[in-house]
Amino acid sequence: MKIVLVGMSHRSAPLEVRERLAQEDPAPALQKLVACAEIDEAVLLSTCNRVEVVALTRNLEAARHRLRSFFRRDLAADEGLSRDVAEHLYVHTGAEAMRHVMRVASALDSMVIGEPQILGQTKDAYRTAVECGACGPILGRLFQHAFATAKRVRSETRVAERPVSVARVAVDLARQIFEDFGNKRALLIGAGEMIETALAALRGAGLESICVANRTPERAAELAARFGATAHGLDELAALLPGADMVLTSIGGDRPILTPELVSRALHERRNRPIFVIDIAVPRNADPEIDRLDNVYLYDIDDLGAVASQNAEQRRRETIRAEAIVVEQQQRFDGWFAALRAVPTIRHLRARAEAIREREVERALARADAGGMARDAVEALSRSIVNKLLHAPVSRLRREAEREEGMAYLEAARVLFDLDEDAEAPGDDSADGPDGE
Amino acid sequence: MVVQLHQFAAAIYLIAGLVAGLSLAVPAPRLGRVAVGLLAAGLVCHGLAFGLLHSAAPPPLTDMAAAVSFMAWVGGLFFLILLLRMRLAGLVVLVAPMAFLGVFFAALRLPFAGESSVGGSGSWPHAHVLLSSAGLALLGVACLAGLLFLIEHRRLKSKRPLRRPLPLPSLEALDRVNAAALAVGFPLLTVGVVTGMMWVQAVTGHFWSGTPHETWSAVAWAVYAVLAAARFARHQGARQAALSAVGGFAFLLFAVIGVEILV
Repeated sequence: MKIVLVGMSHRSAPLEVRERLAQEDPAPALQKLVACAEIDEAVLLSTCNRVEVVALTRNLEAARHRLRSFFRRDLAADEGLSRDVAEHLYVHTGAEAMRHVMRVASALDSMVIGEPQILGQTKDAYRTAVECGACGPILGRLFQHAFATAKRVRSETRVAERPVSVARVAVDLARQIFEDFGNKRALLIGAGEMIETALAALRGAGLESICVANRTPERAAELAARFGATAHGLDELAALLPGADMVLTSIGGDRPILTPELVSRALHERRNRPIFVIDIAVPRNADPEIDRLDNVYLYDIDDLGAVASQNAEQRRRETIRAEAIVVEQQQRFDGWFAALRAVPTIRHLRARAEAIREREVERALARADAGGMARDAVEALSRSIVNKLLHAPVSRLRREAEREEGMAYLEAARVLFDLDEDAEAPGDDSADGPDGE
Repeated sequence: MVVQLHQFAAAIYLIAGLVAGLSLAVPAPRLGRVAVGLLAAGLVCHGLAFGLLHSAAPPPLTDMAAAVSFMAWVGGLFFLILLLRMRLAGLVVLVAPMAFLGVFFAALRLPFAGESSVGGSGSWPHAHVLLSSAGLALLGVACLAGLLFLIEHRRLKSKRPLRRPLPLPSLEALDRVNAAALAVGFPLLTVGVVTGMMWVQAVTGHFWSGTPHETWSAVAWAVYAVLAAARFARHQGARQAALSAVGGFAFLLFAVIGVEILV
């Protein structure tokens, strides 16, 4: 059994590629994937910064190939994108894949290191995989370890103590554009977790006038009520935009809702006062062309990430401690996983020993019934069991000892049977028995 | 006394600039506040020096060095007033050395030559130089704010907002400085031009004598009139306003100083 991870993230692929692979509902794709013979278990994580599949397989090469084609054919919609996808994919296997899952859950691989959203997104991905039957006990255990790692990183290091969320970076940037927030108005488009975080950050920064626009006005109303903002439907966007100094958008949809025409009109109406647009949606909600407008400052998720990474050096020391926790947790899981690999062998060994025992007991009882002495029968029984149990390993040891590489077998035998305790004992002679039999 | 006060003001400005630089390098906000205090002290000292100079008879303001010193003082004072309203403290590192250069240049030329060449024209020359210099100083502040706006705008557009050696004020603050400097500077320049015409009238009997200085000054004023109209009546965007402030001031410098040198 091997764990393999294939995916792309903000580190390997530009937003233009990532946004076209993002899955709002990963369940159908996941079910299709686990229906393949090469994949035993799988979890698909799709966020604005990454699309990754973690899978459990018995055939690593075939699974790697299958997962690559899953990205190219099943997730990428067109031929051109398929080529792009191939360029940006990364593959991790074994311990590296385990460590990656733990780093992702702990927000150490995030664009904004220590950000709080990724843990929730990873939990959602795990839950979806469990619900659609794609995640079994082994990946389940891996994800439980990943969540425990994230918890330790948060409690034992200061990586997440002052969470540098995307919203926080956006507020810092807004301060470079606007002198004071007291007389400014923010328009938040969407009503998801990102918008909620942004709403709290903007309120904390002193912004008093905030509007929330969403496709489902009820959800917007609920969010707005909690933060003292006003709620609107998405159809009011054109009317709201001229009054907005800052627009933060994170809403689902394939097409940009902030078009150059709409924003130009708003700029004209607001007499060219600047608009700061923060687009944290994937796929993007704002047409990149609006950045060409003179008084518009557009930052998408990659731009914000680049800004956040400028602060990365300050957090380096804490990140090193967090990475050490990840390695420790990965080794724990790896130990459990390795022990899991020995289970079928141990079971087989036990079954063989039991079969030998049963057969030899039957033979001994038959001999006793035939009038043999009880002591002789028991002696013969025990000798026969020992000889039969040791026959296969001793024969193999003799054969392997003739080769240079075979020394590993001798070493393993000494360890397995704990022979170093009794190195001078005449055990070697007894080994001749089964062979000679 | 005037010389000593000028030298003293120059020294304070220089120290303010160094402390401001140190406050950014360390960084230490407390040192930044000390730099602002030193700049204010320098302005008081500079103002006293200027007041004493002003009381001299005849007032020697038509001397270029005296005018530059006055412009540095007006610009510094205007900056200090704006500092009360906006987060501009980071700019002390630029403003203090500029004020130092202005007052240092004046201190080197002291005592000034006076206005012997325009004797007998009353207080018009004095009013003209005073008002025009103040206008020029404020339009210079607008130019500096415009220049910083363009740098900051470029940085934000190129998505590298944190890589900046100097913590520039927000775009909005720079735009407000630009607008305020233009709003005060342009009327001062206008009154300066009018008093200049009065001065010419007092000397020649005509309001217009057709000298290159008069012609180019009138053109520069007309350029600024158009820029001010675009800014305040047509709601020009902040970046265009910044470009106008830089371009307009470059033209004004050419008209006032460049033409004098060339002709």
